Amino acid sequence: MKKQEKILVKASVAIAFLFAVTPTVNAMHIMEGYLPAGYCVAWGLICLPFLAAGFISLKNKIKTNRKNLTLIAMSGAFIFVISSLKIPSVTGSCSHMTGTGLGAILFGPASVSVLGIIALLFQAVLLAHGGLTTLGANTFSMAVAGPIIAFGIYRLCGKLNVNRKASVFLAAFLGDVFTYCVTSVQLALAYPSEVGGTAASAVKFLGVFAPTQLPLAVIEGILTVVIVIGLEAYAVPELRNIGFLRGREAE
Amino acid sequence: MIVIDRLCYQSKLRYINASAKFVYAVLTLILCIASRSAAAAAVVFFVNIYLTVAKGGIPFARYVKFLLVPAVFLAASTAAIVVNLSRTPLDAFAIPLGEWYLTGSVSSVLEGLRLCGKALAAVTCLYFLSLSTVMTEILGVLKKLRVPGLVIELMMLIYRFIFLMMETASAITTSQNSRLGNRDYRTRLRSFGGMASALLVRSLKRSGTLYDAMEARCYDGELKVLSEDRPAGKKELLCIAGYELLLLGMAIWSWMR
Repeated sequence: MKKQEKILVKASVAIAFLFAVTPTVNAMHIMEGYLPAGYCVAWGLICLPFLAAGFISLKNKIKTNRKNLTLIAMSGAFIFVISSLKIPSVTGSCSHMTGTGLGAILFGPASVSVLGIIALLFQAVLLAHGGLTTLGANTFSMAVAGPIIAFGIYRLCGKLNVNRKASVFLAAFLGDVFTYCVTSVQLALAYPSEVGGTAASAVKFLGVFAPTQLPLAVIEGILTVVIVIGLEAYAVPELRNIGFLRGREAE
Repeated sequence: MIVIDRLCYQSKLRYINASAKFVYAVLTLILCIASRSAAAAAVVFFVNIYLTVAKGGIPFARYVKFLLVPAVFLAASTAAIVVNLSRTPLDAFAIPLGEWYLTGSVSSVLEGLRLCGKALAAVTCLYFLSLSTVMTEILGVLKKLRVPGLVIELMMLIYRFIFLMMETASAITTSQNSRLGNRDYRTRLRSFGGMASALLVRSLKRSGTLYDAMEARCYDGELKVLSEDRPAGKKELLCIAGYELLLLGMAIWSWMR
């Protein structure tokens, strides 16, 4: 690229991001300061064992082959970039993927917990999605609960010989839906309703966010399928490197 | 590429000691969340806007746009907290829906408003940090806080890779657009998926070359980077300490009440 072209590309991306910060439909990050202090600490503590497990698994991966360090870092950056790019949405508002379902399918849920918390921290500081005090709660819903469900469903479908595309779609879609449910419950626990308590409050939060989150989950599912098809078409050796497709070879 | 990152590099507060800024932002954030007083939230809100916009030189219009980022979440969840579906009307408002009422109590409305104020004040703390301290310096502070070296190293690499990937992504998107890649919704979805998979493949290849380059420069399990040391001024430290004590006092007062 010539220098001028480079500047042009950069300018266009900057403009794109300018538009991206006007009211956005994000994957459901709990915003900074929205949870009471006790809940922030509690969710952080709940995440700790998962993060420790992820940390140990990453450490072992790097110990077996040091080259994995840059590979893992690239995966983390990929999760961040995928979740920061504007995806085509039906309503014209701009929305973002969570990318964690895809991450869980590609890299496994243990790595995604650590990569997810790093991505969430960067999202909070660089994109103003989510926050520092709500990092624990967001990590639990997006980097622990969602990926575990997505990975579990993906594996289960593999065992039941479900069509591959369908299983990828189900994993990403249900991972997203589960994240949204967990976030609603997190909010409900912190703010129980005057009439009906926590359960009623959870129903209210689920209802309020359903119009944005359910279409988003469907789009995320479709996109994940398209991405996985693209990867399988021309990146088999690379995918084997990161551990994906290993299961299928064994069959 | 990332607007916040670029503005942060232009901030006039950039060369102030990073630990001081980090401690200021995090302490203020904690006190803001912990205290129940609306006055404390207001103080935090305006002081942070003053520091970031007037002292830091961030354009005000930009700043307001950033404040609107969580607006959808804020409006939706506060509505969920305030509005109840009940058979008996509560005291603040009640809209009849057949036999049921969409209703809320005065205390919950007040609580909702206070929550909004507190959350927005907390957001300004986050923005103070992200619009004045560059990521590499935040990582330096985290290192001092004994975050494991592997995590810091990963974060450093990820931060670098984000920009490489975004450049690749925008180049691919441009070429897709010039080839009618977003003609209708179907092609748009296909283009996005194709872009993402090409992005991952290219990045994985690149990570291999990057590792070779690192090894050629004597990488042996630890990334070493130079960090500049800018000692914090006494006046700044005193100001921060006084301000935090004031907030702590307000917080304690709000608990006792």
